[in-house]
Amino acid sequence: MSPVPSLLLIEDDDAIRTALELSLTRQGHRVATAATGEDGLKLLREQRPDLIVLDVMLPGIDGFEVCRRIRRTDQLPIILLTARSDDIDVVVGLESGADDYVVKPVQGRVLDARIRAVLRRGERESNDSASFGSLVIDRAAMTVTKNGEDLQLTPTELRLLLELSRRPGQALSRQQLLRLVWEHDYLGDSRLVDACVQRLRAKVEDVPSSPTLIRTVRGVGYRLDTPQ
Amino acid sequence: MTPVQGGVRGWAATRKGHLSRLRFTSLRLRLVVVFGLVALTAAVSASGIAYWLNREAVLTRTQDAVLGDFKQAMQNRAGTLPSHPTQDELQRTAGQMANSSQRFGVLLVAEDDNGRTVYASSGGLDGFSLQDVPASLRAAVNKKQSVGADSGNKYAYHLYWQRVVDHGTPYLVAGTRVIDGGATGYMLKSLEPEAKDLNSLAWSLGIATGLALIGSALLAQAAASTVLKPVQRLGVAARRLGEGKLDTRLRVSGTDELADLSRTFNHAAEALEKRVDDMAARDEASRRFVADMSHELRTPLTAITAVTEILEEELEAETGSMDPMIEPAVRLVVSETRRLNDLVENLMEVTRFDAGTARLVLDDVDIADQITACIDARAWLDAVDLDAERGIHARLDPRRLDVILANLIGNALKHGGSPVRVAVRATDDEVVIAVQDHGPGIPEDVLPHVFDRFYKASASRPRSDGSGLGLSIAMENAHIHGGEITAANSPEGGAVFTLRLPRDASALAEESEKDTAKNGDA
Repeated sequence: MSPVPSLLLIEDDDAIRTALELSLTRQGHRVATAATGEDGLKLLREQRPDLIVLDVMLPGIDGFEVCRRIRRTDQLPIILLTARSDDIDVVVGLESGADDYVVKPVQGRVLDARIRAVLRRGERESNDSASFGSLVIDRAAMTVTKNGEDLQLTPTELRLLLELSRRPGQALSRQQLLRLVWEHDYLGDSRLVDACVQRLRAKVEDVPSSPTLIRTVRGVGYRLDTPQ
Repeated sequence: MTPVQGGVRGWAATRKGHLSRLRFTSLRLRLVVVFGLVALTAAVSASGIAYWLNREAVLTRTQDAVLGDFKQAMQNRAGTLPSHPTQDELQRTAGQMANSSQRFGVLLVAEDDNGRTVYASSGGLDGFSLQDVPASLRAAVNKKQSVGADSGNKYAYHLYWQRVVDHGTPYLVAGTRVIDGGATGYMLKSLEPEAKDLNSLAWSLGIATGLALIGSALLAQAAASTVLKPVQRLGVAARRLGEGKLDTRLRVSGTDELADLSRTFNHAAEALEKRVDDMAARDEASRRFVADMSHELRTPLTAITAVTEILEEELEAETGSMDPMIEPAVRLVVSETRRLNDLVENLMEVTRFDAGTARLVLDDVDIADQITACIDARAWLDAVDLDAERGIHARLDPRRLDVILANLIGNALKHGGSPVRVAVRATDDEVVIAVQDHGPGIPEDVLPHVFDRFYKASASRPRSDGSGLGLSIAMENAHIHGGEITAANSPEGGAVFTLRLPRDASALAEESEKDTAKNGDA
């Protein structure tokens, strides 16, 4: 990861694009911009940014679709920029694979904090590994293998798995996970956790609909178990 | 849950149907009674007239024949008797007279040579004596009429008759006198066969009347059904309309008054539906306008907010690079942008509630922790006196709880000043949070309006820091949880806002999810 994180901002409104570019640049990021989803996808292939800030309402293919297309090949972090906090939008955005979302009108400082939090998730911290059944988490290499096969996890999914694996068998509440993984304050959106758990289960569980590793603890949150 | 409800509703509907049928019975009954009365009057008068005419015809005919015979017999037999016949002669003549086709009894009265009155009765009827002849008839028979050309009367004695009833049997009694001092003759004829005929006629007429009554009752039923069925349909349709099913229409058949009524009903329902649709559309349009407008405001506001921050940082940098003339202008832009942001945010929130798209995102929350976090995030820790035990958990939307708390506590701080006291109590199914300030309290006339949108406590205050939507948004957020906020004045001074929330709002959230799904399908 380069010392100065490079971002790709996909936003169709000129004023917002210029203002956010200005603000993010002042916060110390390298910012590339695109006005449409198609341009953004092209730029993504050319520039390989560390993170994408993606507007939902785009002419042509919308933000959700862009998000889905990126996720087919890439695990790089995506922050959605949504003009509405209408719940259905947030849910669709999270299901299409976004790591986090901010609601317009967004403050540059908040966006910067979110960006930094997402980027921190990819940082390695210790040098051990743990295994849960056929799942092996290598904290040194920041890789996860299942039956010896590498799993493609986004930094958020990886961080969630790491936080759960650090306390095996212990239930963590959604609020705790939001603080640990997303670095959100006390008002974090618990649906971020639920959506990320769903995506993670789809990758690590044998049968995602009946999970044996990441278990739901009713009324509390989630827990990572070693399968019997 | 749903089938049970359906069952209950079905049961209620059948009960309602029964009730309406019972109620309609009175109208049915009235129709039957009226029809019956009409039929009875018609049948009774017709039978009465028929009976009376028949009776007269039968009796007159019998009577005429009998009297004719009797007259003839009197002339032929009694007329030939000597003026003072013997008992034997009289008896023989009476026997001869009675021996006619009409079978009547004969009583002859005369004076014999010795001046004794002799009686002779034919044996046909037992004991036909003078006692059987009414006195008035005897008097009339024995009365000698004046004879003269001027009176038109040619005979001194006339034939008189009378109908009498003896031991339940009707008889015809007649009498006359042979002119010029002959015998007086009476006859008695039983009218029993005629009476029997007339009786059976009366029976037949009675049965016919009864049949007419039954027929009229059946007809009344049929008529009632043809009238009442449409009325019942109309009643059901009107009830459906009242329940808000504005697409209810009646099938119009025929051209009678009921069809007219159905047509009128359909027109009324159509007009009502159109009216309600129009109003709903207008309401929807104005709501969408506010939603669209606040939405549109966001785009420029996002750009402005992002740039304002740069200006703000410039102000905080204290490099002195900013022109002192421009600095206040920049400060104003920064602070007003923040205000505008809040306003648009609240407006969006309100439109979401109005459109019914607001949803609960539930989580398990420690109430005390949540309140602490809320006042900490807003730097109110020193101004708020919190009385809450940790460990009171509730399942609700933490963001919405935060909005409610921030608005209630912010409002208390603004109007009452610090310290604000926040007390939490919990029951098995409810959490009660009371926010009390130490200000002057809320005037009685303002109290009912504190949760109204854009309602300002005093008109003299030209502008407030809030958007004027805060308390109304707090209220909406309480409602969406199935909770409530009440405002009151504390006896020891200051205003108290009491928030009540259910400890588990899951049921409500699921319900609203279902509603959305349904709306999505529609």
